[in-house]
Amino acid sequence: MLQALEGVATQCVAKQDPAATGHAWSVFLAPGQILKAAGKLFEAEYSLEDILALDVDEGFLVQYHFNRWTLNERVVLRILVGKDNPVVPSIASVFDGAEWHERETRDFHGVEFEGNPNLVPLLMAVEDKDLFPLRKTDKARKSIKDLFSLGEVVSCSAEVEALFTEAEAGEASDA
Amino acid sequence: MSAYQNTEQMKGDFYTQKFEAGKQDGTLIINMGPQHPSTHGVLRIVIEVDGEYIVRAEPVLGYLHRMHEKMGETQTWGGFIPNMGRVDYGHAMAWNWAYVGAVEKLMGLEVPEKAEYLRVIMTELNRLASHLLWWGAYILDLGAFTPIMYAFDDREMLLDILQRPSASRLTYSNFRVGGVQMDMDDKCIELIKAFIPHFRERLPMYHDLVTENIILRRRIEGIGIIDQDMCRRYGCTGPVVRGAGVPYDVRKSEPYSVYDRFDFEIPTSDSCCSAGRYHVRLAEMEQSMRIIEQALEQLPSAEGGHIVDKAPKPSMKPPAGEAYFNVEGGRGKIGIHAVSDGSKVPYRIKLRAPGFSNLSAFAEAATGTLLADAVAILGSLDLIIPEIDR
Repeated sequence: MLQALEGVATQCVAKQDPAATGHAWSVFLAPGQILKAAGKLFEAEYSLEDILALDVDEGFLVQYHFNRWTLNERVVLRILVGKDNPVVPSIASVFDGAEWHERETRDFHGVEFEGNPNLVPLLMAVEDKDLFPLRKTDKARKSIKDLFSLGEVVSCSAEVEALFTEAEAGEASDA
Repeated sequence: MSAYQNTEQMKGDFYTQKFEAGKQDGTLIINMGPQHPSTHGVLRIVIEVDGEYIVRAEPVLGYLHRMHEKMGETQTWGGFIPNMGRVDYGHAMAWNWAYVGAVEKLMGLEVPEKAEYLRVIMTELNRLASHLLWWGAYILDLGAFTPIMYAFDDREMLLDILQRPSASRLTYSNFRVGGVQMDMDDKCIELIKAFIPHFRERLPMYHDLVTENIILRRRIEGIGIIDQDMCRRYGCTGPVVRGAGVPYDVRKSEPYSVYDRFDFEIPTSDSCCSAGRYHVRLAEMEQSMRIIEQALEQLPSAEGGHIVDKAPKPSMKPPAGEAYFNVEGGRGKIGIHAVSDGSKVPYRIKLRAPGFSNLSAFAEAATGTLLADAVAILGSLDLIIPEIDR
């Protein structure tokens, strides 16, 4: 079990095969829990590697990679936010380096980070700040379940599990 | 105030105006870059100075932003490899490796032993070239012209070696999913074997010429403190974190390829300052040579060819999934997060550039130092702007 995140309300904790994915743990969180989780990871001597977003059918999947200097155990925190109001609390108050990663994610996908001290364009030009180059077209966009698997589940809420298992039912209704 | 000073242009752009909003009385705001020679390309830093002291600094990025991540989503998996050499011209091979490593992970592909050794030798030679480029340019930033001539003299030999198996001299893209493009010929191995003793003799000369120089020491010792706590908060890696006394190196902590077969050390320095990072990089050059020597020794007994049999074509289709692969580059941890939907075009390629995180610590490290120290701190971070802006 992932000790570092004890006390944080997770939606899903799953073990991953590091040889296949490079991740040791995959954790789904509600947006409201990210700051607490980041604080716990900071206390457990994790450092932030990067933040990225993934444009999927279900919304934007914001992912945070954490790793440690002494022990190789990469943790990926995932937050799924809706397309209509993609807002995630900023973790720049815990990991200062997150400020730039969040700004980059905002530039590329349009995910807003509430509480970021300086949420202005970082890599995109100011006049292109609402261009969001990495948003997918409807045709190219895929569903989470088509992109990766959940891994070896330790604990998981029904909502998150549904993201990965609904496949057949969903496709049937489309047809 | 003259009419000229009231023109719209004099107000500065968005970033200057935003920065100016927090200005204190009696201070001056200056823009360093994007054309300043010590910013190694097109980095711009807005600095508020009180006399000669830096009160506040804010890097402004994006002048060299080319959206490599979007390019990754518009071409085939194999077609994206040449982009990697352009992300970081200093240590292009490490980026090549990070990318093909991630794709190999997605495909579950086993790379032949020989190809792994070739990768190690080439990447370490490239690391030497990268550190030499940094060394020459850093001393140049600090006002001494001669050392870069020595550094480029030796670097030239490295480029001559590396162009034989890669057919290029700077923006290498000779890694392939499943191995490398070409084997090393005998002449190449001969050149490497001649280079190492030559460079071993040169390194002490570098130290005599520069390291102990009192002017350099006064410029870099105790300047630009980035300690362990800052490294963790900003996600610094590479020589920056090792210069803060943390023996963190992906080659040891997360051994990939055949790095676990070599005997080498991780040089560290507890001084946390620019001088510490300087010493770490110079010491790393010796360790890279040790790795190359051992790899050359073990190379003849390595099995397999330079690339896997039936290597995937550029239009390969990795199965749907995600893979994170990281390697130790000259500037720190390079990470590639690749997501595949099972088609021949990547769904998402995230590039984690070490320089990006290292530079984000600059503003805090530079606060309270002299303006001239900003140059010493920037140089000690070994910035390659195309990598930071991507």
